[in-house]
Amino acid sequence: MPLSLYLPISGSATNILLLLGLGGAVGFLSGLFGVGGGFLMTPLLIMAGIPSTVAAATDSNQIVAASTSGTYAHYRLGNVDFKMGLLLLVGGVVGGTLGVQLIKILRAMGNADFVIKVTYVIMLGVIGGYMFVESLQSMRKTAPEEAKPREPQRPSVYARLVQALPWQMRFEKSGVTLSPIMPFVLGTFVGILAAIMGVGGGFIMVPVMVYMLRMPMHVVVGTSLFQILFTCINVTVMQAITNHTVDLVLAIILLIGSTLGAQFGARISRRLKADQLKILLASIVLVVMVQILVSLVWPPHLLLGHGGGH
Amino acid sequence: MRSRVLGWPVIAWCLPLLVVLCLAAETKAESVTLQVTPDVMEINSFYQGHNVTVTGTLPAGLGAVVEVVGPTAEEHLRRKGRRGPLWMNVGTITVDGAPSLYLVLSSAADLLSGKLINAAWGFPALIQRISLSGDVQDNEKDKFKQQFLELKESEQLYGAWPGGLKVSPADNGQQKVTGTFWLPSNIRPDTYKVCLTAVRDGQAADRVCTDLPVQMVGFPAFLMTLAYQHGALYGILAVVIAIVVGFVMGYLFKGGGGH
Repeated sequence: MPLSLYLPISGSATNILLLLGLGGAVGFLSGLFGVGGGFLMTPLLIMAGIPSTVAAATDSNQIVAASTSGTYAHYRLGNVDFKMGLLLLVGGVVGGTLGVQLIKILRAMGNADFVIKVTYVIMLGVIGGYMFVESLQSMRKTAPEEAKPREPQRPSVYARLVQALPWQMRFEKSGVTLSPIMPFVLGTFVGILAAIMGVGGGFIMVPVMVYMLRMPMHVVVGTSLFQILFTCINVTVMQAITNHTVDLVLAIILLIGSTLGAQFGARISRRLKADQLKILLASIVLVVMVQILVSLVWPPHLLLGHGGGH
Repeated sequence: MRSRVLGWPVIAWCLPLLVVLCLAAETKAESVTLQVTPDVMEINSFYQGHNVTVTGTLPAGLGAVVEVVGPTAEEHLRRKGRRGPLWMNVGTITVDGAPSLYLVLSSAADLLSGKLINAAWGFPALIQRISLSGDVQDNEKDKFKQQFLELKESEQLYGAWPGGLKVSPADNGQQKVTGTFWLPSNIRPDTYKVCLTAVRDGQAADRVCTDLPVQMVGFPAFLMTLAYQHGALYGILAVVIAIVVGFVMGYLFKGGGGH
């Protein structure tokens, strides 16, 4: 095993090149789609032999770096809607607190792990499936006016409800007029799910922004990264204080890889069309969903295992 | 003064007895000896597991077993089960009496075959010492003890190497044994025991043990202290480092890029 480094918090040695590669790949996706990458990095780290509790906590630390780098890159491109991001963040903090309480209740009742995995499968399946079908349809329609809000096409109950909410305000960067209640409520919803699933929530937040807040894809990516940055700062500090599971050495290696990857991702994201981006993200989300589903259905090699996980 | 009180006849009786006792003790000490190299294992930044060599002597004709044993601690594991079409954790099993590390090597393969009923070494003896409690029925305990061994073997923390010790003749009716075992990278800093047992007719004839301390040194030791004794500082430091690296990388790319 050449180029191995001992990771004291993980309590084992791991190959540096493997970790740099993992960080780079996930960082690339992070910059490309504006997702934190937690839903990919945590399972990949566990596969690399890192204990699941350390993987989840360290992951949030490296997402801080990746999303700092990504937010900065998108900020320079003028792609961060701070007003929207702050409202989502406030909602996310409220939701996160509620979610942690919910997890406590689930743990007391027994099968928290099962609920977590099933939540993953349902959320990833619904989001991935919807994004995939929607992007495919819109690509077929030749879509000349990408990245523009499409309210006129859908005077649905949902659209009328959104317009009926009080305190409508203009979000210049996103080019939408909404009540601040909308991003707050949706941020809370994503916060609850993110706490249950133990991730930053980017992969839920991005579709929520695209489909429910009707924000253009390029602003969605920057704003999502901005919101994830603060969520993960909070999680990193809390995990370090309560569980001592943040592995700084592991995080530094991952974040070197991921910040490099995020820069490449942010650049390529500008060259790809919105629908191409969406269909790529949808495919990745679906692959992860299938992987978790298989782990739920396939008989395990051993009927005894360590606790932990999120 | 004292010798005058006891008198010469007592000394005359005691002296040969003392000599005999000393000689016996010396013979006993020399009958089974054990040396471990390195005698202290240091976990530094580049530790990725390490080979440890054991060398020992024991009377010719006897079998040899070397055990490397970690301290025992209660361990809580999840039991997996099927609910409908899905596999999930269905309970907790507490394992008591199991060492954190158990590696065993023998001079002859049959010493670890499990056929020696009274053997105090090897996996069969280990299973006897382990007890399970929690979400497990009595009739399932043997199965889950076996699963526990497999779990530990998959983590390289348990292992058995029948015939893993080399035997060669030595002076004074003794034989020399040498063997090497791999101390895995996921070992916890602690004091481990390395024991050499001389085996005659399937029974332990003699046994000698030595300590093998495993210690974290240098940067890993510093980081562990920071993480466990100054958690908040460690967390803030982790976030600040992450933000700085993120910005630095962003800035570097700004210089080289063409937006």
